[in-house]
Amino acid sequence: MEENTNPVYKDKAYGQYRELSYSYEDGGQFQKTVGFHGEADRVILQQAWDLFHERIEEARQRVISGKVSPVVYYMEKNLLDPLNLSMMAGIAVWRVKWHFRPGVFKRLSESTLQKYAAAFNITIDQLKKVE
Amino acid sequence: MVKLEFEHRQAGHCESGVTRNLLNYHGFRITEPMAFGIGAGLFFSYLPFLKMQHAPTTSFRVWPGQVFDRATKELGVKAAIHTFRNPKDSMDKLNEVLEQGYPVGLQVGTFHLPFFPPEYRMHYNMHNMIVYGHNNGTYFISDTLMENLVEITYEDLVRVRYAKGAFAPQGRMYYPTFVPKDIDIRPAVIKGIRKTANNMVGIPFPLIGAKGIRYLAGRMRKWEKNLGPEKASYYLGQVLRMEEEVGTAGAGFRFIYGAFLEEASTLLNQPWLRELSIEMGDNANKWREFSYLGSRNCKKRGKPEQSYDFLADMLLEIANREEKIFKKLALIK
Repeated sequence: MEENTNPVYKDKAYGQYRELSYSYEDGGQFQKTVGFHGEADRVILQQAWDLFHERIEEARQRVISGKVSPVVYYMEKNLLDPLNLSMMAGIAVWRVKWHFRPGVFKRLSESTLQKYAAAFNITIDQLKKVE
Repeated sequence: MVKLEFEHRQAGHCESGVTRNLLNYHGFRITEPMAFGIGAGLFFSYLPFLKMQHAPTTSFRVWPGQVFDRATKELGVKAAIHTFRNPKDSMDKLNEVLEQGYPVGLQVGTFHLPFFPPEYRMHYNMHNMIVYGHNNGTYFISDTLMENLVEITYEDLVRVRYAKGAFAPQGRMYYPTFVPKDIDIRPAVIKGIRKTANNMVGIPFPLIGAKGIRYLAGRMRKWEKNLGPEKASYYLGQVLRMEEEVGTAGAGFRFIYGAFLEEASTLLNQPWLRELSIEMGDNANKWREFSYLGSRNCKKRGKPEQSYDFLADMLLEIANREEKIFKKLALIK
């Protein structure tokens, strides 16, 4: 799925690299080509990023309106789900989900907060609020 | 300060590309499809209970690390493979091996990889790349996905080698230590083909191989009804991303495998393999067509001929083709 022109993504940083791929023509030989993404590649990659951005924005709104804790926002921002976050922070999945509640989050100990901050690669102060 | 004379070549698939480049360095010339075929990299599995980026995992390849392991084992190449608990140990060992003059393959996570194309920066811990030197905290990297050589700092390298989550690399590093002078690659090719055929049609489990493709087709018919149009389209997109994007060189490795069969037929002097490679090429084009129509569906331009039922029928046809091909390949002598 190659095109020689550089495809235009919604996000301009995307699609700047040329990759190698193989192709085959009927009755012919297998060929190697180096080129930019084609139309179909663009559609499916953009679809994933659209969903991620949508989820991040939704999480941000819910944190601001006080429905969930900032952990949810940073989880979505790092493209994680509770299972992966639990593996990264070293906290059990059910506890991670428990910490999604704003009231529970406020009472968390310094050391637990530090685990989340380390997983998200931010400071504890940053963890307590959303941008 | 170490900088080895390393020949960088781009490849379609990260791990077979790394295997080829490492063997090339030790003077054993081999092509990428050959490394992939001997390593028995082709596979199919659909795991609805294992979610990846909010959708079921579809995989077109074997477990990470197996291509290198199998290829070196079958070729009689001695290789060292290490994993570490302590990041400091792993970096010390890396420096030590580089100073002895061996380029090293690493398994890394892609989320924090600074030179990686931004559209691919998701949590994917099965990427492979080669380190061929270091200087004062900067490491020289040959990544087969990229056109050019790149560099990475010590801190970033530690972070990607100790990426956490599913399939965590745990600092896995591997390198060939001894490559024999005369390698007869024919028995390795035959074994590789037999292993792949067994993986695709020989395992009586419904989620993998040709059966797995049929299972996916059955599930696909129900997506729109059970999940709603939005989520169904995302699930379909996930299958297509796994098929086309994550370093598969197109059509979920089917092109690469066809090229391998073509090469194997001349090598083993068995013309029937050439016929199968043509069938594999047609099959790969069918996958390509599937992903093209599927992406139209994702864009919500869906016409009746791009509905989920139509795509599922297409998958069933692909499954029949692959079953036929691999049942023939299983009989190789």
